[in-house]
Amino acid sequence: MSARICLLLALAGASVLLPAEPAAAAPARSPISHFIYLMQGGHTFDNYFGTYPGVDGLPDDACQAVDLKRPERGCVQPFSLHGGPPPALDAERSLVEAQLGGGAMNAFVAAYQERGRDGAPAMGYYDDRDLPYYWNLADEYVLFDRFFSSAPYGIRLNRSYWVTGRQTPGGGEQLPQRGYGDEPTIFDRLEAAGVSWKFYVEDYKPAETFRTASTSDAAASQSARVPLLNYARFLDDPKLRGHIVDLSEYHRDIVAGTLPAVAYVASSGASERSARSIEAGQRLVRDLVTQLQLSPYWRDSAFLWSYDGSGGWYDHVAPPRIGERQLGLRVPALLVSPYVARGRPDHTTLDPTAALRFVTDNWGLKPLDVGAGSSLAAAFDFTAPPRKATVVGTARTHAAAPGVDVRPIYGFYGGAALLVVLALVFAVVPKAKKVKVTEVVKEAKVVQEAEVVEEAEEADVVEEAEIVEEAEIVEEAEIVEEAEIVEEAEAVEAVAADRGADA
Amino acid sequence: MTVSVIADASMMDGGRRPWRRRPAGLLRAVPVTGVLALATAFRFVALSREGFNSDEAVYAGTAASIAGDTSLSGLFPVFRAHPVLFQLLVSLVYRAGVSDWSARAVAAAIGVLTVAVVYALGVRMYGRRAGLIAALLLAVMPYHVVVSRQVLLDGLMTFFATVLIYCVVRYAETAAGRWLIAAGASLGAAMLAKETALVVLGGLYVFFALTPIVRMRAPHLVGAFAVLGLLVAVPAAAKAYAGAGSSGQSYLLWQLVRPANHELSFYFTTVPSAVGLGTLGTALAGLIWLRREWTWRERLLLCWVIVPVVFFTLWPVKGYQYLLPIAPALAVLAGRTLDRLGLRAGRLALIAATLVVTISLAGASWQSIRPPEGGTFLAGTGGLAGGREAGLWVRDNVPAGAQLLTIGPSMANVLQFYGKRRAYALSVSPNPNQRNPSYVPVPNPDRALRDGRFQYIVWDSYTAGRAAFFTAKARTLIDRFHGVAVYSGTARVGHADQMVIVIYRVRAR
Repeated sequence: MSARICLLLALAGASVLLPAEPAAAAPARSPISHFIYLMQGGHTFDNYFGTYPGVDGLPDDACQAVDLKRPERGCVQPFSLHGGPPPALDAERSLVEAQLGGGAMNAFVAAYQERGRDGAPAMGYYDDRDLPYYWNLADEYVLFDRFFSSAPYGIRLNRSYWVTGRQTPGGGEQLPQRGYGDEPTIFDRLEAAGVSWKFYVEDYKPAETFRTASTSDAAASQSARVPLLNYARFLDDPKLRGHIVDLSEYHRDIVAGTLPAVAYVASSGASERSARSIEAGQRLVRDLVTQLQLSPYWRDSAFLWSYDGSGGWYDHVAPPRIGERQLGLRVPALLVSPYVARGRPDHTTLDPTAALRFVTDNWGLKPLDVGAGSSLAAAFDFTAPPRKATVVGTARTHAAAPGVDVRPIYGFYGGAALLVVLALVFAVVPKAKKVKVTEVVKEAKVVQEAEVVEEAEEADVVEEAEIVEEAEIVEEAEIVEEAEIVEEAEAVEAVAADRGADA
Repeated sequence: MTVSVIADASMMDGGRRPWRRRPAGLLRAVPVTGVLALATAFRFVALSREGFNSDEAVYAGTAASIAGDTSLSGLFPVFRAHPVLFQLLVSLVYRAGVSDWSARAVAAAIGVLTVAVVYALGVRMYGRRAGLIAALLLAVMPYHVVVSRQVLLDGLMTFFATVLIYCVVRYAETAAGRWLIAAGASLGAAMLAKETALVVLGGLYVFFALTPIVRMRAPHLVGAFAVLGLLVAVPAAAKAYAGAGSSGQSYLLWQLVRPANHELSFYFTTVPSAVGLGTLGTALAGLIWLRREWTWRERLLLCWVIVPVVFFTLWPVKGYQYLLPIAPALAVLAGRTLDRLGLRAGRLALIAATLVVTISLAGASWQSIRPPEGGTFLAGTGGLAGGREAGLWVRDNVPAGAQLLTIGPSMANVLQFYGKRRAYALSVSPNPNQRNPSYVPVPNPDRALRDGRFQYIVWDSYTAGRAAFFTAKARTLIDRFHGVAVYSGTARVGHADQMVIVIYRVRAR
């Protein structure tokens, strides 16, 4: 094999090993170049953040009648679900319509009772003991307290609004035999504009599409969670279908530098639809958000997640109408980005179509027919420099141990230092005073001088002079100093005795 | 018959030959100034060339917490294990800003002061020349130079311990109660620096027990212990009033029951070279050679040295710097020998012998100041190679709130100090009887990583060389959780750059 061929093979190998080039993206009109939107399922705002401080949470007088026709049966107040058994609720159309009571918002419990079921669990709520990660994120980023589901009920219906801004063909949960037809989605617009995009699916099963699902397929099936799988073109066009990938690619894209400009995420086991999956949902969100924060993408990214319906839970705010569209109950929604204010609840009335408006505006796409409504853009603050990422954990910050008051430390240790200094000064610098020198002192002086002279005689002449001089200075100073205190009389006796013993 | 005298300076200087005293005093200041300048040079040159080691990071972090540095106060609790007198001193300079140099400068300045006290002690015990030689030896002694260049508690403890010997000497000479009270205050201050100073009390007990001619009067003893008691109560009182009453208690218990961390012969293999074989040999030779001049002074110094050596040899917990308080005593004993050598064998012999010992010490100290070249790093003897640089990378590149998992707690401490991010160590035992209570274990690291508690795993050569099992465990976790190397630090070891720290970013899925 020639050297040239070897070189070519080496270059080819290297090109395979090198990370792929970042996906080309049309320039964004705001500093947000990467937008990620995760849709979870089945909770109201009051159910997750009803007791969160500073938001429009559970009213003090909230109490839902058990039976609307028999008020004497009493009412159910909101209660904490922490540590209790996982409640089983429904969010089917008739039930949710009954709960809303035509806007009266008074049958969240009674609607279940009318169906022979216990409706009290609908008044349960979670708090920071159950949702520490979400609450921590709310402290650090933006929590929306007027973010409504796009429709009062229906996963398919709400998720259709999520990607198209419009209801499903037929306006219900039924899946047409030929799919959703030609309804344009945000991804059609992105594709047309050359803006990179992907739809990440947790535990993605490519074979599960509208073609394999029955028309009455379970609402939580993959085709319900991933609306693109209901469009023939997204299944039949390999280029479009290639954008629908397993969630594991999200991490690979972050590491490889190929995160698309717009990414939607549909969860599966971690969807939070059941009480048991709430913890898994938090882990999922934590993983997605944290990896984004650790990556270079953080500085120009925004991560939004919300919920596709009420899940049958209570919420005290009557859903408004926007134009001709009746919104559903409020759902939790949080926005994590370097361009949002820290811990500021946002009270703007929004729904998932607000993200479509933002994406359309941000990348200059041909608008979708999403009707009236606000854009998510108002939640950002592009006048301030981007914030550094703050990774939050599951320990609630307010539960941190109170700080130590350092003033007593300085006080006590400073006092101790003063005591030590005083003791040393008192020892080194005794007060000058007249003292009595006893005969013993004089005798000791004579003995010590004699010792010094004797020692000096042992040395040579020069050293002798030094010793004598030192003796005169040091020993005399010692002796005179020793004589300063009256009690030293005894001490000098001991010194004299010591000298005698040593000699 | 009684005679009244005025005890003042003019009387002490004499009345006799005042014309010779004044210039002699000035001249005498020159050599000791030179010795102090040398001590300063050895302690301040290239003081912050290397970053903190684990213990330094902890003490500096505590000082920063006391000084109100909010970025470190959550990571380094004020009351962790030891009293905080030294940390308090460092906190005073940290109020102007946290830096390696300023904290070490406090320790170095205390080291120079200790040299000055050794001079005074030597003069007091054996005359000016012996004091000067003792100070010179301590000024360049590797043991004292190395420790007093670090943010460690032992330097301040040794300073007060040396003052304590001085006070005891004065008390033995004069029997004046004020000197025993000052001794009690000095011991109390030493214990406020580090509680292990209590061990020297054993040495003093043995000395007084073996030396009946130095009598201790009960009132003096009561006064000394009263002052000592007041000072010893300070840490508990400060804790209680600062709102941290129970912290640090379990640390003392753990110190009492923890398993041995070194061989019984640890100090016999490390300390002789640290104090200098010349110092040790000269001191011992003097004790033998001048045995006819044996007085309570030598007994005091010997008790001072022997009791801590025996205690810490038998005590299962050993640290390189624990025996530092014996260094001044050895220096004074060596100074005594060389001084007497001058008297007996002449000035030339004195100068030659002093130079030999001093140069041998200075050479070893200079080697310790330079970056490590041996390829191994001993905690407590210097910086942790590459630790500061890795920590600064963490500070600049790791988001706030992210957590790191290291192999051992030494690297965790360093990364916490410089990186200002929480770091945990794999090797910290979940068994409370087998871990330093200051450290928080990770009982199930695999699950913690799956739950997303840690975003980074850190490998370092220092710990890898000491903890093979946990290094292998870290490697497994790095592979399992998709570790991607995001930082690699090298350090000069010998004549080549070696990889010393690698930080991996990990993810749960």
